[in-house]
Amino acid sequence: MSLGGITGNVTALRVTVGILVALAFVPLLHNSYYENLGRGILMYATLSLGWNIIGGYTGYVSFGNVVFFGLGTYTSAALWQHWHQQNIALAVVCAMAVGIALALVLGVPILRLRGHYFGIATLGIALATQEIVANVDWLGAGSGFTVRPLEAYSAYYYAMWIVCAASMLATFLIARSKLGYALVAIRENEEAAAVLGVDPTRYKVTAWAISAAMAGAAGAVFAGANAFIDAPTAFALDNNVFPIVMAILGGVGTVAGPLVGALILTAINETLWSHFPQIHTLFFGAVIVLVVMFLPRGLLWLLNLRGGWKGLRASVGAYRA
Amino acid sequence: MSEFLSIENVAMYFGGLHALDDVSFDVGRGAVLGLIGPNGSGKTTLMNVISGVYKPTYGSVRFNGKRIADVPTYAVCHLGIARTFQVVKPFANLTVRENVAVGAMYGRNGHNRGAHASFERAQELLEIVGLARVAGRWASDLTIPDRKRLEVAKALALDPEVLLLDEVMAGLHATEVDEALELLRTVNGRGVTLIVVEHLMKAIASISTTVVVLAEGKKIAEGAPAEVLASPTVIEAYLGTRYAERQRDVQP
Amino acid sequence: MQLFWQSLVNGILVGGIFAVVALGFSLVWGIMNIINLAHGSFVMLGAYTAYVLFSTWHVDPFLSLPVAFVLLYGFGYCIQRFVINFVVRAPILTTFLLTFGLSLLIVNVVLLIFHGDTKGITTQYSGTNFSIGGVTVGWVKVWTLLVALAITALMQAFLTRTKTGRAIRATAMDVDAAQLSGVRVAHLYAVVFGLGAGLAGAAGVLISLSYSLQPSMGDPFVITGFVVCVLGGLGSVQGALLGGLVYGVIEALGSQYIGTGLQDAVALVVLLIVLIFRPRGLLGKATAS
Repeated sequence: MSLGGITGNVTALRVTVGILVALAFVPLLHNSYYENLGRGILMYATLSLGWNIIGGYTGYVSFGNVVFFGLGTYTSAALWQHWHQQNIALAVVCAMAVGIALALVLGVPILRLRGHYFGIATLGIALATQEIVANVDWLGAGSGFTVRPLEAYSAYYYAMWIVCAASMLATFLIARSKLGYALVAIRENEEAAAVLGVDPTRYKVTAWAISAAMAGAAGAVFAGANAFIDAPTAFALDNNVFPIVMAILGGVGTVAGPLVGALILTAINETLWSHFPQIHTLFFGAVIVLVVMFLPRGLLWLLNLRGGWKGLRASVGAYRA
Repeated sequence: MSEFLSIENVAMYFGGLHALDDVSFDVGRGAVLGLIGPNGSGKTTLMNVISGVYKPTYGSVRFNGKRIADVPTYAVCHLGIARTFQVVKPFANLTVRENVAVGAMYGRNGHNRGAHASFERAQELLEIVGLARVAGRWASDLTIPDRKRLEVAKALALDPEVLLLDEVMAGLHATEVDEALELLRTVNGRGVTLIVVEHLMKAIASISTTVVVLAEGKKIAEGAPAEVLASPTVIEAYLGTRYAERQRDVQP
Repeated sequence: MQLFWQSLVNGILVGGIFAVVALGFSLVWGIMNIINLAHGSFVMLGAYTAYVLFSTWHVDPFLSLPVAFVLLYGFGYCIQRFVINFVVRAPILTTFLLTFGLSLLIVNVVLLIFHGDTKGITTQYSGTNFSIGGVTVGWVKVWTLLVALAITALMQAFLTRTKTGRAIRATAMDVDAAQLSGVRVAHLYAVVFGLGAGLAGAAGVLISLSYSLQPSMGDPFVITGFVVCVLGGLGSVQGALLGGLVYGVIEALGSQYIGTGLQDAVALVVLLIVLIFRPRGLLGKATAS
């Protein structure tokens, strides 16, 4: 049985899984720079995988998934501040629960909106949540929370690895299951999907809840590792946009795309930081512009392109007026 | 009143526009009902009412004894009614087989099928409609006649008792029309009741067991194809009063 | 009660600026179906143009308004023609990210040149005001509102009475039909985008008269533009105006009674209420979908 287009190129997937396994060994290098870098890649890959479920597979471009990440960090921080809990697994489970609950509550009204409206509504949610959280004393208000990290600091690395691997596995299972096909059908043509028996609201909300769980889990681990959480850190624009650009770069709607994108973009980011610190963000903007103009569907889709060079040029010019 | 599918005094008003006015007829199980009428006579509106997209202003549609009340779009196929659309847009980034599999997964018997079983069912249906050779191709790469076959296959994947076909032969040339008619006969032979909206009189005449004619939202004729298509009332509705008069003058 | 009237007046006065911002945003969205996330950065560029002209040659900001308009128009035209045109018919995600990337670029170039410290324009008439029934009204803000109203009226006249304006409206209704009628669509899109940028620049000049300048000052205006367009109704000049004024009042009252740090929360609530209960906005036309 052919997997069709919804898992993505199988060879690329195998290679990416190999890279994921390799990443598990980074803490053994006892180098804190590489460990932080690797943990960052795993975190962004998870966020990107989460976004990929609602944005890539279901076609609902969310600019608000950072809310689930941010609230995940606050869950973890609150567990320490108010109940002196440092257990990573507990934080992850609670953060996932918070994320899923929020996605279910917000999802039903918000996912009725289409296209631009959904995108900006989620952006509005992200901005509004940041403001609200910064005004709530129980969540640290303006000054934020410090979190005491575990002695065995590498635990955070392994936790992030597990979260990332689990997210990738979940994406793989979804892509091969009936759920995956429901999501893609909704993306391709929501009305036609409904005619074929797919209940759009139910599946869209499910997709958003899954992506919220992934983002929340990543946030929970991040809080402990970062030792400090405040509203600007938790809801940082980077955490909102990077995962999207990574998914695009790697391949929207594929299983391997987000991790590939996370690797490449982190590499670019680190190079820019070390060589051009002042104009780092400027270069980043240029990277986004170039990626979007020339690789609108990401690298992995290029592997599926037929027609060689002509096919490539046609795909680049496909959206011109 | 047929126990199978009956359209009872259906009226559909959009503000002051009477798209359908007191339309009634029965459809027997296993029949092929041809639905014809000039443009704007209400055929597609009637299709929308029968498939649950519109709730009629007056009257009702009864299927297997139950009224088709407002069901949400995604629940309509679970009643046993499926339809094709005039403007055919398959899921472009899925293969032909996957397109049909979605219907098998979520249609009337979908809850009994896993992903694997759905793909097997899809392959079966592709054989029936004649698309088995392109099962692995991207749906966006199909020709127009093949896209129409795909549309039929997707509808069949819902395991319908009644299939509504809205101008499925539009844009086909003569040979393709014959192939389409062959396919419809096969589908009907498997026990699916058909309601076919078409403009091609030859097609309607050759395949229908009963024909219903609409004009300006009202039913103006019902009966066996031969008599309906020769009826002066019907000719007048399509071609105008003067043409009908000339025909009467010419024929003995 | 006094505070209520003061907030109301302040809201109306700033609402004029919102209307001009929204008008530019609405043109690009309504005609090209592009949400321009760089719109805020265009506003900021307009403000900085006024600042440069003022600090170097003491040009009064009201006079630099047409200059900023023309400059930003040209800038917008080129960006559309040579960058955005690549992806005009692409899915939403692509255009969102492209304009977002452009916004990052523009803001950071300005940051490099002017650095992050706050700048301001202070003219001789900056602080002057008058009182009506206990409410203080700044003269600058009144003139700002009047100019904003004039700009909206001019845009309306342009769209309804000139050949280009009619071509624009035709393209908005049916691109292919317009193309068949001889409209050079690529050029027209660039004109529209240029106009959007020009309007943003004009709004920026008006803002520079009353508020301080920073490279990131334009960011909130994307959300404002969006909310005002949704509130007032897309595709309508009067909608942008009414929406701008109404939203200005809502924001001023919200700031007064709920607290200043929560503008975005207020904006979101307004947005959601409109989208759920009256999606076409106050003056928009109900669409078939």
